[in-house]
Amino acid sequence: MSRYARRLDRDLARWREQGWISPDGEASIRRDVAGRTRSMELAPVLGILGAVLIGFGAMSFVAAHWNEMARLFRLAIILGGLFGAYGLAGFLFDRDHPAFAHAAILTGVALFGAGIMLIAQMFHISGHAPDAVLTWALGALGAGVVLRSNPALALAMLLMGLWGGWETGDSDRVYWPFLIGWGAVAAAMLWRGWIPGLHLAALALTVWTISLGYYLFHGHGHSIVIAIGLLIAAAGLAGPIIFGRWRTWGAVAYGMAIAFAGLFALQFIETAPLERLIWLAILSLALVVGGIWIGLRSSNGALLWLGYGGFSIEVLALYFKTIGTLLGSSLFFLSAGVIVILLAAAAYRLHSRAQPGLEPAP
Amino acid sequence: MMSAMTPSRRNMWIAIAAVALAQAAVLGWMIWQRAQLLSTGREIVLEVIPVDPRSLFQGDYVALGYDISRVPISEGAPPIGRGSVIYVTLQKAGELWHQLTSSTTKPENLPPDQVFIKGRVEYASTPTAAAPGQASVHYGIEDFFVPEGAGRELEKLVGQKKIDALITVDAAGNAGIKGLVADGKRVYEEPLL
Repeated sequence: MSRYARRLDRDLARWREQGWISPDGEASIRRDVAGRTRSMELAPVLGILGAVLIGFGAMSFVAAHWNEMARLFRLAIILGGLFGAYGLAGFLFDRDHPAFAHAAILTGVALFGAGIMLIAQMFHISGHAPDAVLTWALGALGAGVVLRSNPALALAMLLMGLWGGWETGDSDRVYWPFLIGWGAVAAAMLWRGWIPGLHLAALALTVWTISLGYYLFHGHGHSIVIAIGLLIAAAGLAGPIIFGRWRTWGAVAYGMAIAFAGLFALQFIETAPLERLIWLAILSLALVVGGIWIGLRSSNGALLWLGYGGFSIEVLALYFKTIGTLLGSSLFFLSAGVIVILLAAAAYRLHSRAQPGLEPAP
Repeated sequence: MMSAMTPSRRNMWIAIAAVALAQAAVLGWMIWQRAQLLSTGREIVLEVIPVDPRSLFQGDYVALGYDISRVPISEGAPPIGRGSVIYVTLQKAGELWHQLTSSTTKPENLPPDQVFIKGRVEYASTPTAAAPGQASVHYGIEDFFVPEGAGRELEKLVGQKKIDALITVDAAGNAGIKGLVADGKRVYEEPLL
């Protein structure tokens, strides 16, 4: 049962006892909810996890370089497994078990990667490893698009991230072609209308954007990261005003996380002079409190927890860094505490004026 | 979702077959390309230099180093960044081939006792007045994969500098390991498949 369904279950019982809804109405609502919410079943999840395990098994099999078996035979096993996995996927689609079919597709894509590794080993190719990862990612993307398989697209996104990260680490520079690979997989996810996949894409782009700060301007590009993050958050806030619908909280959360990571790097990874550190700390706390405020206003759980998490990280990091002296730290925390409590009082006044007689929920 | 023998069912099987065949074709193409390099490329023999005398054998491969793994950079040469392509020209002397020159552009019209090999710069130090610069270069021939647990003997031979590598190079400078040579005899010569 989803969180919404559990909560509704409690509320419905209460509303019926109060006599606000009839038993018939309650039954109708329950039927509607049961018909609309698709709770995650255990079996398909286990199917995907099994496919992941088989993929790692295949890669370890290649890495073991088992000499008892001729190389050609090992290649035949991998290729046979690849055709077998896709054939099984077709059979499962045919029998109307799409969830298991997608697990079989994922296995096929994993065996494609194991095949690439086996060939590299057979011919002692120690060439540029990220190229092999890119080939694998493109294979996963192709399978995801042609077979409309979300798990394959997720693997493609993970592999694109591995490729971009590897190239960046190898060259010690921003690796711009990553955006092309990322865009291709993200476009496929958008075309499928797959929300969890789009979050994965947003997460990959968030990490990449944060990494810009460590590579641009000889590793001092964090101000750019903060600007990009604030722009994304502002666009997320402006979106509903322009389009009239509140659906861009994700952009606000990702943008704020990017800006926070940039601020964090400026404060604790670079060496900031005392006065700048204090200003950056004030900005960070304002950003975090703003995030929590927007999260509460929009009842967006993710934004709220990101805000709480960011607040804890910021305060702990400041505590360990110490602002000038321990006495300085104490002064900063005390004044920040007083300001936040004043904000709390102001928020309470605003709230009780808007809804007299109601205590705000903690 | 797919009822009995509908066009969508046929399309599904076509899509499945297309993905499986395309991925198998990519793997086949990789093998063909490599087999092509090994069978038609020019054979040269390079002396293998121990990379790390204490632990050459890492897991299931032996790390091979060559004299072309370190390319000197003369003072005043244009700076070389990590990941950039470098062409090293080799000259034959006796059985072995040695580094002659290097450039960032593809060499042309080489005499028959010379060949060029394409590499990727891993790290480069800039030359100063005091010391010449040096680039660490990979050619894709640095890992020799061996069966699990079978690397000790090979490691010893490499450590004693008794091993040379048989390399093939194609016209574009791509290189592959064809086998290993010990005391003038070919050991570990790899079959094409």
